[in-house]
Amino acid sequence: MLRARRRRQIRYSLLVALVPFALACAPEGAKRGEQTLVAAIGGDPGHLNPAITTNGGVHTAAALLYNGLLTLDEDLQPLPELAERWEVEDGGARYRFHLRRDVRWHDGRPFTAADVKFTFDSLLLRFHARTRASLGPALTSVDAPDDSTIVFRFRQPYAPLLQQLDVVEAPILPRHVFAGSDPLRNPANTAPVGTGPFRFVSYRPDDEIRYAANLDYFQGAPQIQDLVLRVIPDPGMQVIALEAGEVDWLFAVPGPDRERLQGDPAVVLLQTTVNPGGSNCVTTLGFNLDRRWFRDVRVRRAIAHAVNRPQFLERVLFGEGRVATAPISSRIAFAHAGDLATPEFDTARASQLLESAGWRRIGNDVREARGVPGIENGTPFVVGFAALPSQAKFGDLLRAQLRDVGIDLRVHPLEPAVFAHTVFTARDFDTAIASYCNGTDPEIGVRRTLVSSSIAPVPFSNMAGYSNPIVDSLFDRAGAAIDLGDRRSLYREIQEIAVRDQPYVWLVETLATRAHTVRCSGFGTSAHFAATARCTRE
Amino acid sequence: MPLSTPEFASADLAPAGSAHEPLSTRRSSFATTVSLPSGRAGLILTGLTLAVTILAPALATADPFALSGPPLVAPSLVHPMGTDALGRDLFSGVLYGARTSLFVASAVTMLTFICGAGIGLIAGYRGGVLDDLLMRVTEMFQVLPRFFLVIVAIALFGAGLDRIVLALGLTSWPVLARVVRAEVFSLRRIEFVRAAESSGASGVHVLWHELLPNVMPSVAVMLGLLFGQVLLVEASLGFLGLGDPNALSWGVLAGQAQGFLRVAWWLAFFPGLAITVAVLGSNLLADALAASLSGR
Amino acid sequence: MQLVPTVAGIVLVGFLLIHLAPGDPVLALAGEHGDAQYYSFMRQRFGLDEPLPQQLATYFRRVAVGDLGFSYVHGRATLQVIMERAPATLLLTGTALVFAVLFAIPLGILAARRPHGARDIGISALALGFYSAPIFWLGQLSILVIALHLGLLPVHGMTSPGSAAAGMSHVSDVMRHLALPALVLASHEITVLVRLTRSGLIDELTRDHIRTARAKGVRERLVMLHHALPRALLPVLTVVGNRAGHMLAGAAIVEIVFGWPGMGRLLLTSLQTRDAPILLGLFFVVSFTVILFNLVTDLLYAAIDPRVRFR
Repeated sequence: MLRARRRRQIRYSLLVALVPFALACAPEGAKRGEQTLVAAIGGDPGHLNPAITTNGGVHTAAALLYNGLLTLDEDLQPLPELAERWEVEDGGARYRFHLRRDVRWHDGRPFTAADVKFTFDSLLLRFHARTRASLGPALTSVDAPDDSTIVFRFRQPYAPLLQQLDVVEAPILPRHVFAGSDPLRNPANTAPVGTGPFRFVSYRPDDEIRYAANLDYFQGAPQIQDLVLRVIPDPGMQVIALEAGEVDWLFAVPGPDRERLQGDPAVVLLQTTVNPGGSNCVTTLGFNLDRRWFRDVRVRRAIAHAVNRPQFLERVLFGEGRVATAPISSRIAFAHAGDLATPEFDTARASQLLESAGWRRIGNDVREARGVPGIENGTPFVVGFAALPSQAKFGDLLRAQLRDVGIDLRVHPLEPAVFAHTVFTARDFDTAIASYCNGTDPEIGVRRTLVSSSIAPVPFSNMAGYSNPIVDSLFDRAGAAIDLGDRRSLYREIQEIAVRDQPYVWLVETLATRAHTVRCSGFGTSAHFAATARCTRE
Repeated sequence: MPLSTPEFASADLAPAGSAHEPLSTRRSSFATTVSLPSGRAGLILTGLTLAVTILAPALATADPFALSGPPLVAPSLVHPMGTDALGRDLFSGVLYGARTSLFVASAVTMLTFICGAGIGLIAGYRGGVLDDLLMRVTEMFQVLPRFFLVIVAIALFGAGLDRIVLALGLTSWPVLARVVRAEVFSLRRIEFVRAAESSGASGVHVLWHELLPNVMPSVAVMLGLLFGQVLLVEASLGFLGLGDPNALSWGVLAGQAQGFLRVAWWLAFFPGLAITVAVLGSNLLADALAASLSGR
Repeated sequence: MQLVPTVAGIVLVGFLLIHLAPGDPVLALAGEHGDAQYYSFMRQRFGLDEPLPQQLATYFRRVAVGDLGFSYVHGRATLQVIMERAPATLLLTGTALVFAVLFAIPLGILAARRPHGARDIGISALALGFYSAPIFWLGQLSILVIALHLGLLPVHGMTSPGSAAAGMSHVSDVMRHLALPALVLASHEITVLVRLTRSGLIDELTRDHIRTARAKGVRERLVMLHHALPRALLPVLTVVGNRAGHMLAGAAIVEIVFGWPGMGRLLLTSLQTRDAPILLGLFFVVSFTVILFNLVTDLLYAAIDPRVRFR
């Protein structure tokens, strides 16, 4: 009796314990097709309208569906896309683009210049923050004299336009879908109609977005028949999925995993300087020059000496990038000054500078003010550090480095919107970190960090609040100069002054690593990365 | 239709009821608690946690914010719990993290005690309309999803220990208030309270000197359980990246471990273990106390 | 109906949060990413230019018709964004609840057979251990051991990436992905239910009608399963209802650990983008779910246990 009961008990509890495993051992789902490509993305985009946002996640997911007038090659030079050729007129104040006539929207309607005009007037110049901020003030009109011509007119010559017409900066959307509606609430935001190499199939929030090849694509139908963007927020999980062959493409490989993947014959790594936010980015520490702490150049210089830049490269970026040695990225070869006297890592020199600036170290702790102009004696050297959450790691390391010279850093991770407001609008910060993407010319990404006219409530403008009339006039001359040698020497002068004044500490130039399985090949680095790819069966 | 059935709605782990004899016969509850195996285990674990908290500066092998070794080193003699991606010593981080985590849990427990015991005593002692009103408010607070409320509060007001403490403290008291009220309700009819009342003692005197000491053992059980729960909530907030980055806590450490699961298991393992030990300690103590109260 | 003041109280808490938060209340209602035009639209919709008491009335009206604001980030109504994720969360939570009951009741019976016996102590200690561990930690450990080390189950998401499976093979694909997160989520509930089942049974087994049944020679198994268990499970029912809030909070964490595409993932992304309308909306949806659960369990309780009607 007793034994029978026990046996029943055991049987019962075993049975129950088996339920989840019985579920788990059900046969695996059917394998996907040969020309199905799965790419991992880090977050749900929320919607798929790239013209009303600069959110990198939306652009990654939506770029496949749309086109720009132009596209940019790996050296960021413009190539034809929706526009097949163009003319620069009126000394650079008027641009005339001739559009392809063989382009159709995914719903079969023809694409015309009216779509381009509508997209700029009603969408991009109203809702796309970067295009609105850069083109908006300079542009007088966008006109469509006929169905296949579009003309941009500017108040004065405007050089960077051709760099700003790719699918990221200026995607073209269909007028017949958006006209007369509130673009923020249009149902097409989650069921888009584009001209791009892939057309939209389905969207399951926080799970998968599915695309199919656009068989009528004007640059030829992609080989990939089905494209899936799979949301996998944890970068480590993305790598696991890649190794398991569940995913074929990663937009980024987390540092700690890269070494292992390098030795994996089933995985190919691609390095690129193109990030969703731009190219040739330099991670930069900025001092708020409105704060009394940082009025004295000796203090800024001391911090520059206290910063161990190779350690940032090693422990935050895991070797993905290079140490920055000048205000202009080394990727802009003609303008980059490689032999500047940038402060080297030297804590003794840093301490000496801080002492001479009136910051005394009593004991082994945080320094105190002793005769610093405008700061009460005895005030400890405690300063804040504002950072996007994704860059808070830089703060953790900087805090550790600055402790060695007696500075107490408080890290404040701020969400993107709050960061933009706190740093650029309210200017309520001590130090902050930002990734300034230099682009292909100092005029695009470096000028905004140093000229006084760029001290404005605009995200990623002159964070330090640095104002030097000499630098302002040098930039004006460099921007208008035509001869490359002239520009080189002007930019060199600017960089020498900037390093001397040290409104920023230029920490590291970042790279991004993409990864794909050997099963697939032919990827591009542009937003249409999968348009030229093809896969084979494993 | 009652919104919830009070006797079981209280704490999920709390004893279903407790005896109501006067204080004198309960004096030994602490001794009884400690005599139980679970009580001893709880005492040891809690003692360990407290010792670590107090002695952190003496026990730590390094400054938890300083780079004291190479990055991502597995546990070794030099770094008993390994190092993180920046090369900071995790063992020291866990020791110092105990301080923040325990501070948050203690502060929330105190706040809950003040709100919960206060409201429970008044409602139970006064009864009538005031009781009805207070219980209605209590019911409302009881259905508030604490975790989601704290997240909304932090999202709107920004991260900070003070906000975490306030948001948790102001929403954790309903269960305690109901238990205290129920106990006071039955105590009121008992001889010694009547005696105090008839000898002309004021309401405050009766509440403070007669009722409060008698409900304390059940209150202690509830607070012990709450202490553990708050440690868990704090850890979850840290895991979500809502902790204070300038005050190391177990939750913040656990949150930083994300993304390194595959390459550095120790970053996730040890902070989680520390949380489990501390929570288990307070749960076991509360459990044993409850058992000794109900005379089992 | 006692529900009305409770619901009103919750809406009031939401209203207070919006207005006590630093900065313009429109930011809390509409997020921080909009432009001036959008903000003025939202201001008007929620009557933010009116005096405070009228604003409260407008707010109540809005919430009453299910208008929890509009998410600029998603370009859709808050409620719509949340409801898109609700089925996944419901599937996870429901499965976890089933697992919890399936595990807890047999374990509770085993423990109650010989109170304070070795088996009882073992079960109780194990259960308390699980209850004391942070749920994300259990998730991380189970990913490390069961999924990565042993390779038994998938680690992430609800389906195999890019799977074209349909019908039964789709169902089994989802089940494989569901097993681990549901088990982890169930772990805390198992503890609560084991203890309730155990103490309920121990109480029941000392009652008169059980003694009578035993005296009449009814077999021990029958006594346990047919006489004692049903009554002992009554409190279990109530607690299941009362723990809806806990379970949804746990589900949020578990979803984040396992990449499950439900409301928890939405919670995290909305935190990262400071999408306040979604966060407030989640707070409301969870609050109302908790109230609903309480109501349903109270009704069930009344249906099963006649004593409740005499209150």
